[in-house]
Amino acid sequence: MRLTIGYQTIAAWMEAEGRRPFAFQEEAWEHILAGRSGLVNAPTGCGKTFSVFLGALIDFINAHPEDYRTRSANGLQLLWISPLRALAKDIGRAMEEVIRGLGLRWQVGIRNGDTEVSERQKQKRRMPEVLIITPESLHLLLAQKGYPEVFRSLKIIAVDEWHELLGSKRGVQVELALARIARVKEAAVSIIGISATIGNLEQAKEVLLASLQGMAGAMGGAKDFIVRANIDKPIDVESILPDEIENYPWAGHLGLKLIHKVIPILEQSRTTLIFINTRGMSETWYQSLLNVAPDLAGALALHHGSIDMELRNWVEEALHEGKLKAVVCTASLDLGVDFRPVETVIQVGSPKGVARFLQRAGRSGHQPGQVSKIYFLPTHSLELMEAAALKSAMTEGLIESREPMLLCFDVLIQYLSTLAISDGFYPDALFPELRSTYCYSEMTEDEWLEILHFITEGGVALQQYDEYKKVEVMEDGLYKINSRRVAMRHRLHIGTIVSDAMLKVRFTTGGFVGMIEEYFISRLDPGDVFTLAGRNLEFVMIKDMTVLVRKSNAKKSRVPSWNGGRMPLSANLGMMLRRKLDEASAMVEGGSGSKDLELKVLQPLFELQAALSYMPRENQLLIEQIETKDGFHLFVYPFEGRLVHEAMAALLAYRISRTTPISFSFAMNDYGFELLSDQPIPVDDTNVFELFSPDDLTADIQRSVNSAEMARRKFRDIAVIGGLIFQGYPGEYAKARHLQSSAGLLFNVFSEYDPHNLLIRQAYNEVMDQQMEERRLRNMLERVSGGSIVLRWPAKLTPFCFPLKVDSMREDLSSEKLEDRVRRMQAQLR
Amino acid sequence: MQPAFPYRIKGQQLWLSADRCIYWEEERSLIVSDLHFGKTGHFRKAGIAVPQSVYREDLLRLLCQIQYFRPRQLLVVGDLFHSRENKELELFLKWREDFPHLGIELIEGNHDILHKDWYEKAAIRVNPGVLTLGPFSFVHDIEEAAASNTYYFSGHLHPGIRISGMGKQSLRFPCFYFGSEYAILPAFGRFTGTVSIDPAPQDHVFAILPPANGVPRVGAPRGRLPMGGVRTPARDMGERNRPVTRPRSAGWIGPGSIFRIQ
Repeated sequence: MRLTIGYQTIAAWMEAEGRRPFAFQEEAWEHILAGRSGLVNAPTGCGKTFSVFLGALIDFINAHPEDYRTRSANGLQLLWISPLRALAKDIGRAMEEVIRGLGLRWQVGIRNGDTEVSERQKQKRRMPEVLIITPESLHLLLAQKGYPEVFRSLKIIAVDEWHELLGSKRGVQVELALARIARVKEAAVSIIGISATIGNLEQAKEVLLASLQGMAGAMGGAKDFIVRANIDKPIDVESILPDEIENYPWAGHLGLKLIHKVIPILEQSRTTLIFINTRGMSETWYQSLLNVAPDLAGALALHHGSIDMELRNWVEEALHEGKLKAVVCTASLDLGVDFRPVETVIQVGSPKGVARFLQRAGRSGHQPGQVSKIYFLPTHSLELMEAAALKSAMTEGLIESREPMLLCFDVLIQYLSTLAISDGFYPDALFPELRSTYCYSEMTEDEWLEILHFITEGGVALQQYDEYKKVEVMEDGLYKINSRRVAMRHRLHIGTIVSDAMLKVRFTTGGFVGMIEEYFISRLDPGDVFTLAGRNLEFVMIKDMTVLVRKSNAKKSRVPSWNGGRMPLSANLGMMLRRKLDEASAMVEGGSGSKDLELKVLQPLFELQAALSYMPRENQLLIEQIETKDGFHLFVYPFEGRLVHEAMAALLAYRISRTTPISFSFAMNDYGFELLSDQPIPVDDTNVFELFSPDDLTADIQRSVNSAEMARRKFRDIAVIGGLIFQGYPGEYAKARHLQSSAGLLFNVFSEYDPHNLLIRQAYNEVMDQQMEERRLRNMLERVSGGSIVLRWPAKLTPFCFPLKVDSMREDLSSEKLEDRVRRMQAQLR
Repeated sequence: MQPAFPYRIKGQQLWLSADRCIYWEEERSLIVSDLHFGKTGHFRKAGIAVPQSVYREDLLRLLCQIQYFRPRQLLVVGDLFHSRENKELELFLKWREDFPHLGIELIEGNHDILHKDWYEKAAIRVNPGVLTLGPFSFVHDIEEAAASNTYYFSGHLHPGIRISGMGKQSLRFPCFYFGSEYAILPAFGRFTGTVSIDPAPQDHVFAILPPANGVPRVGAPRGRLPMGGVRTPARDMGERNRPVTRPRSAGWIGPGSIFRIQ
C-alpha cells in the first residue's frame, strides 16, 4: 500500500498538515484497498472519519493515477450513513478540507430532513462523490423511481456510529437498505461500520455484514475485518460531594443544591460540558446556573434535541471556536465530532451505563497527553454509590453490549411501501433478500405472506364493502403503490421512526423556537408560561400543528417534561452497584473500611438503613414491607434497572394474586420497585422463594404483561412506523382531521377485533425482549434463587425506599376480576 | 345483552343501556350519539388497515338495541357518519332497509357532511342545530345550545370517567353524564376514544363497563319469568311475548353493565 500513488499523495498531504496516519487508519486503508468489508472500532476524536474517508480517496487515486485531480462528476463513490443530522455538517466540512487540500474535484453532499428541495434536485442531476445521509433519508432515496442508478458507481458504504444504530429500528432501516443496495449493484460494494467500543463488537459486525453473506462473488471471497484503534486515554473521575448527606434521599430536587460547587469547576477550565439526563432538567439547570452566576450570560449555552436546529448549530460552532464557557446538554451532544476546547465534563445524575459514561468522559481533554476529566454530580445521595461503581467498572473494562433488534414487522411494512412507491417489488425475489438481513433472518414464510396480505388487503375486512387501498398487485405480480395520495402520505411518513408527536413552537410574530411534545402542551391553558430553549414563553394557542407563544417576563414557569429517553440502568452497572453495596454492608458491620470515598461519605445513610431495616450483601435480595396511610407497600431492591423492575413488579403482582385476589399499583426506579395495595400483601418466608422462582417465567410473564398493558405503550411507535397513525400533512392539518386517531384507541380496536394482527404480536414481543428484558429478568431470578432473600418489616420508611416512594411513576395493574375491583373502588369513594 | 338501568329526569322515564344508548319510554325513542359510521372505511381507503369488524359489530349492536326496545324512532345526537360517502355506508343503507318503520332523526354533528340527497335516500331527517321534543332538546355540541328552559341531550365529547381508588389505582370508562341543565351521551361507535370529564358533586354519572368479549350476547338468559320488584322498560311487545333479560341481582356489576359513579 505504501508504494501506491494514492497512499503517497495522502501521506504527503497529512505531513504538510503536520499530521501522521495512526496505525489503525493505515490498517483500515489496507482493508479498503483490498475491497473488504468490516468494522473500525474507534472512539470519537481520534481520526475515525479519516480511517474510512482517506481510504476511499487512496482507492480513487490509485484507480485514476493520471487524472485523479481533473476527474469530476464521477458519480457516487462513498455513501456515509450517520445517525445524527447534526454530525453531517462537521463531517462534510472535514472532508471538503481534504478534497481542497488535494486539489480533487470531488463534491460532498448532505441529505437529511433539513436539506432544501433545490439542493436535492441538484443532487439528482449530479450525484456528489460523497453523500452524507441519515437512515431515513436513505429510505427516501429508495422511494425514488430509478434509485438503482444512484448507486451504480458506489464503492464504499460507511456506517458511522454503528453502535448507536445497532439495537434501534433505525439500525434495522440501515440493514434493509444495505441489503437492497448490495443487490442492485453489479460490482462489489464494501460496507464499513465505525463503532465505539461495545461488549459485542463481533456481533455488531455480523449484523452489519449479514446481507453480504452468500452473495456469490460480491465479496470476492475476501474476509471481513475488525480494526481496533486501541487509543487509551486516561480518565479521571471525581464525585462532587454534598456537604451534608441526606439520609432520606429523593430524586426530586435533582442535585441543584450542589450548583454552587459547579461554578468553581466552570471557572477553572476553558470549556465545560454539563450532561443532564432529560431535556426538561437541562432547561432547569440552564436557568439556575444563570441565576447563580449571572456573569455567565452569553458564555453559557443550552443544547438538546428539541431546540431549533439553527440555534444548535450556532452552539456547536461556538463550542468549536472556544467562545463558550459551558454548555448544558443532553444526549444530543453524545455523538459526533469533538470540540477541542472542552477540558472538563460534568455528569449530572446517573449515566445509566459504563459505555455512556466513558463516551461522555472522552469528550474532554483532546490535546495530546491530556487527561479526560469528568465530575459526577449525584441527584440524590444514594447515587454516589454509582460513582464508586463506575470507577470499578472502568478499571475492569466492563462495557455494555447493544442487542440488535429482531423481526421488526413495523419497519418492514414501512419499507415495503417505500419500495412499492419507487420501482415496486416481486415478493418471491425480495423474500430471500430480506432473510439475508440479521433482523429478518428468522422470518417464516407464513409471516411473510401475512405481511403481504396486510399491505395489499388490509387484514380483517367486509369484502364487498371494503375499499382498502395501499399496495396493489399488478398483472405481472409486481407489488406497487399507484395512488399518488398514498405515495405522498408515505413519503411524509418515512422520517417518523423517532416518533413522539412533536409540535413546532413559534412566536405569534413569527420566528421558530423549537419543538415540544404534544403531551406536554395538551396540559397547558392559554396564558400558562413554560420554558423552552432557555426562554420563558407564554402559551397563546395551537394552530395548524404549531404552538404559538409570546415572550413572557413571568418569574415562574413550567418546565416541559419529555416522555422519551428514560434509559434503564445497565446490567453491568447494576452488578457493580450490588458489589459496592456489599462493600458498604461490610463497612457497616465494622469488618472492613472502604477505599471508595463515596461509600465512606454515605456511611451514616447505610447505618440508618441497617438500623431501620437491613443492609443486603451481594448474594442477598432485600424486601421491605411498610404500612403507611397510602396503604401497604412492598419494596424490593434487585438493582437491575427500571425496565426489569417493571417486569418483575408485574410478575410478582400476578403471582401473588393467583393465591389472593388483590390489586396493586407500582413504582420503580433503577434500584428497586414498589408494590402498593390497599390491603396487606401476603408475602413472607413461606412463599417468597416461590414468588421469585424462575420456573414458568415466560408463561407467567405473558399473563402478567397482558393485564399490565405494557404492550399498549409499545404499540405507539409500532403504529406510527407501521403507517397506522397518520400525523398529518405539514401545514395542512385540517385536511387530515378525519384520519386522526390515537395509538391507544387503535390498540383497543385491534386487540378486540383483530387480536392476531402481526403488529399487535410485535408489540407483545417487544415488551418481552426490550421492555421486560426477559433474559436479564431470568438471570436475576436465577441469581436470587441461588442466594437468599431477606424480609424486613420496618416501622417507617427507610433510606432505600424513600426515593422510590417519592419518585413514583405508577402504572395501573390488576389481575383481579374487574367487578370486584370496581366494587372496592366504589366502597372507597364513599 | 345486559339489562338497562332505569333513570328518571324531568318526569320522564329513561333506560340507560350498557350498549351506549338511552331508551326514552314516553316518546318510545332510542337516543344515540357519535356512531361515526364509515370511519373504518374512511381509514382503510387511505391505506390505514383498521379492522372493519368494528363497524359490523356497531351495526349489530344497534340492531340488538332496536330489537330489544322496539322504539318508533331513533334520535341521533350528531356524528351518525364519520366523513364523506364510502362503501361502508352502502352496508348501512342495506341495514336501514330492514327497519322501514323506524324513524331516524339526525341532529347534525360536525362530522355529518354528507349531501342532503343521501340522507333522503336513507330516510333520515336532518335537523340542523337543535331539535326539541316535549321537555327535552337535542343538540350535538352542548356549546352550541341556546339558553332555554328545556333540558338538553348532547354528544360530541365522547365522555369518559376516571374512577380511582386507594393506592393510586384508576380506570377510565365511557359514561353517561347528567348535569342540572344538560346530559352528554357516550359515543356509540367503538372506534372512538374518550375524553375525561370532571363532574360537579351534584351531577349524575354512570360508567359503562366494557363487554367481556366485545360481542353483544343476544338473548342470553331466555324464557325466565319476571322476578318480583325488578322493573323493565315498558316496550312495544308487538305480537309476540318476548322473554326479558333480568339483572342477576340489584346493582349487579359485570362486563357490559352500567354502574352509577355519583
